[in-house]
Amino acid sequence: MTTATVAAAPAVRTEKAPGISPRGWIGFLFVAPNLLGVVAFTLIPLISVVLLAFTDWNLVSGFGGISFAGLDNFVAIAKDPGFWNAAGLTMVYVGVSVPLTVVLGLALGIALNRPLPGRAILRAIFFLPYIVNTVAIGMTWLMLMNPRAGLVNQVLGVFGIEPGWFASSHWALPALIVMAVWGGVGYCSLIYLSALQDAPKQLYEAADIDGAGLWAKFRTITWPSLLPTTIFLLVTLIIGASQGFGLIALITAGGPGDSTTTISYYMYQTGFQFYRFGYASAIGLVTFAGVLVLTLLTWRAQRGRALND
Amino acid sequence: MRNEVSRRGFLAGMAAVGAAAVVPGCSSGGGATSNVLQVWGGVPAASGPQKVVDAFQRKFPQYQVNYTRFVNDDRGNLKLDTALQGGVDIDVYFTYTQANLALRAGSGLAADLTDRVAADPDLKVFLDTDQPRAFLDAGRIKALATAREPYFVLFNEKLRERAGVELPHEWTIEQFRATARKLTTARTYGCYTIPDVARIKLGPNYWYDGDRSNFGDPHFEQAFRLGREMIADRSAFPWREVLARHLDAYQQNSFLTEEFHLWSTAPFNLRYLYDAKKYPHDFKVSFAPPPTVDGGDWNGGSYNNFVMVNPKSPKADAAWEFVKFWLTEGSGPMLAGGKLPTLGNVTDDQVVTGVLGKEPDKYFDVDSFRRVVLGADPKLSTDTRLAGFPEINLAYRQQRDLCWLGEKDPGPAIRDVRRLADAAIARTERSS
Repeated sequence: MTTATVAAAPAVRTEKAPGISPRGWIGFLFVAPNLLGVVAFTLIPLISVVLLAFTDWNLVSGFGGISFAGLDNFVAIAKDPGFWNAAGLTMVYVGVSVPLTVVLGLALGIALNRPLPGRAILRAIFFLPYIVNTVAIGMTWLMLMNPRAGLVNQVLGVFGIEPGWFASSHWALPALIVMAVWGGVGYCSLIYLSALQDAPKQLYEAADIDGAGLWAKFRTITWPSLLPTTIFLLVTLIIGASQGFGLIALITAGGPGDSTTTISYYMYQTGFQFYRFGYASAIGLVTFAGVLVLTLLTWRAQRGRALND
Repeated sequence: MRNEVSRRGFLAGMAAVGAAAVVPGCSSGGGATSNVLQVWGGVPAASGPQKVVDAFQRKFPQYQVNYTRFVNDDRGNLKLDTALQGGVDIDVYFTYTQANLALRAGSGLAADLTDRVAADPDLKVFLDTDQPRAFLDAGRIKALATAREPYFVLFNEKLRERAGVELPHEWTIEQFRATARKLTTARTYGCYTIPDVARIKLGPNYWYDGDRSNFGDPHFEQAFRLGREMIADRSAFPWREVLARHLDAYQQNSFLTEEFHLWSTAPFNLRYLYDAKKYPHDFKVSFAPPPTVDGGDWNGGSYNNFVMVNPKSPKADAAWEFVKFWLTEGSGPMLAGGKLPTLGNVTDDQVVTGVLGKEPDKYFDVDSFRRVVLGADPKLSTDTRLAGFPEINLAYRQQRDLCWLGEKDPGPAIRDVRRLADAAIARTERSS
């Protein structure tokens, strides 16, 4: 048996390297359509953006109209107040909406993990906003938040508060944050729910025997066991919120004034309204770098703190 | 071993196939062409273009024409631009905004029509440079306006008579304001918004002064201040509602439901006013000219709907035949969409029934229409200076919104427009 195993090992290594057998090649053919899509719609645009970031180009002039700009676009970004305003708004949008979504999602996940009548239906209801079409969400909130006749202000009016929401430069961004949180909480709670199902039961039993209270159990068992899930959610939500575009384009178009012109929308304006594709690509690269740093910092912050570490 | 393909080689192959699939779509090379003349426009085919195409094909049976509609917004125009640049089979296309006009003409996407226009006596009006009806790039004609869009002010006759207000034959911006105030009631605002005060006073290229912007001209601040004051005294529609309800695209609904009275608009919106099935209402509409501003009497409207020929079209002669047909014999069917022909080659009666529907007297005060739209010769402006146009347009709209929401005073708002516009002009002229 030993001899046969030893003899078989080199044969396996020979098959793996360096090429692919015709049979393996057929396997690749099966994934080829998908791979082709990734190459055509992700890889090539990605490389194009990196290259275009160092050019001055308006698209309409064709490839012949591309001129090399060196680092000019990046120098211009550093001096562009519009970019920094958009970056600041994006930080506020991400910095408020993501933690709120995670905290509320966690609370909801814990609540829905308990035995409740109609729990399955409740879970489905809370998850619904995540799968509803963006346009439908936008139009519904637009009506709900109409400053004069919307349901939200009808209720708030009882307390003497009537924000202008999307028709106010002070309230438009908070309104978008409310919508983002509403849309994301159900998703977070579902992810937390699945993580809670995997929480080590024996530790809770031991804690019960030791007479630990609810807060002590949450702090020492639940939270550390949920930390990897939390980091996953933070990273994906930060990336998603940084790219937030659909609702802004649909509802505020970056306004009133430039009060909701986040980085993604500013990039869209620069590229698709002003036809400055080189500059828009440079903004994209800078944004990518910023989100990457934020993601790495988030990742680094949790190292060694999870229950299993 | 010879049958084996390395993983790296396979991936490289896939990349090459992907690139081959994508790059032609981005290249400036020619794509597949057909014998059918391809025309792209922003007006739905059913609102006139299809009838023009049918009439053209009847007269020239040797040509087949396919009309493709693109939505005239940012995304629709981008689709047209990428199609033109990518070599999609387009022979004739329309452009509706000045910024796109300059971009396309300046990027080699528009054929030089100068010699063809000059050779045709019917089209000599396009050689006029005082009130240009053509877009000129470096002195060469690259686009021809197919429609003229004069502005006017519409009155709701029922509410006007109830308020005892005279229908003005000529008036000033101060009288416009006073009239709006008289027409304001507990449930109806006096007007939707104010006419373009600075445009009426300054005419074409009013955003530009030499190599800088012209927002230092006091009429721009006057417009911001007037709008804000009228919103504050309820003689103009609250801007908060306009933004919250996205009303800019649906002004006709609020006019027809009598939410506001005076409506400064152009012929393309008249189609809503005679369609009783979709837009029922119980009042007639009358017409007044735009008010004057400090003696300035530019209309505020423009020559528009520019037709262009793709310089890569292999059917240039057929394309020109079609353009010429659209401008001359084809202009009748376009009246239904409120497109008054640039050449004026339709009778007044054709315009009345074309623009005001089959029962014009039922929905309109036709006498005032004849006086304001047909009898007058309004001064229409077509901008030829377009440096930084989209950036300036955005800056102007953003600051106007803040001002009319009551969040920023007119002075600082217009100063910010000026600062942003100067920067946009400087950047654009530096890079060109």
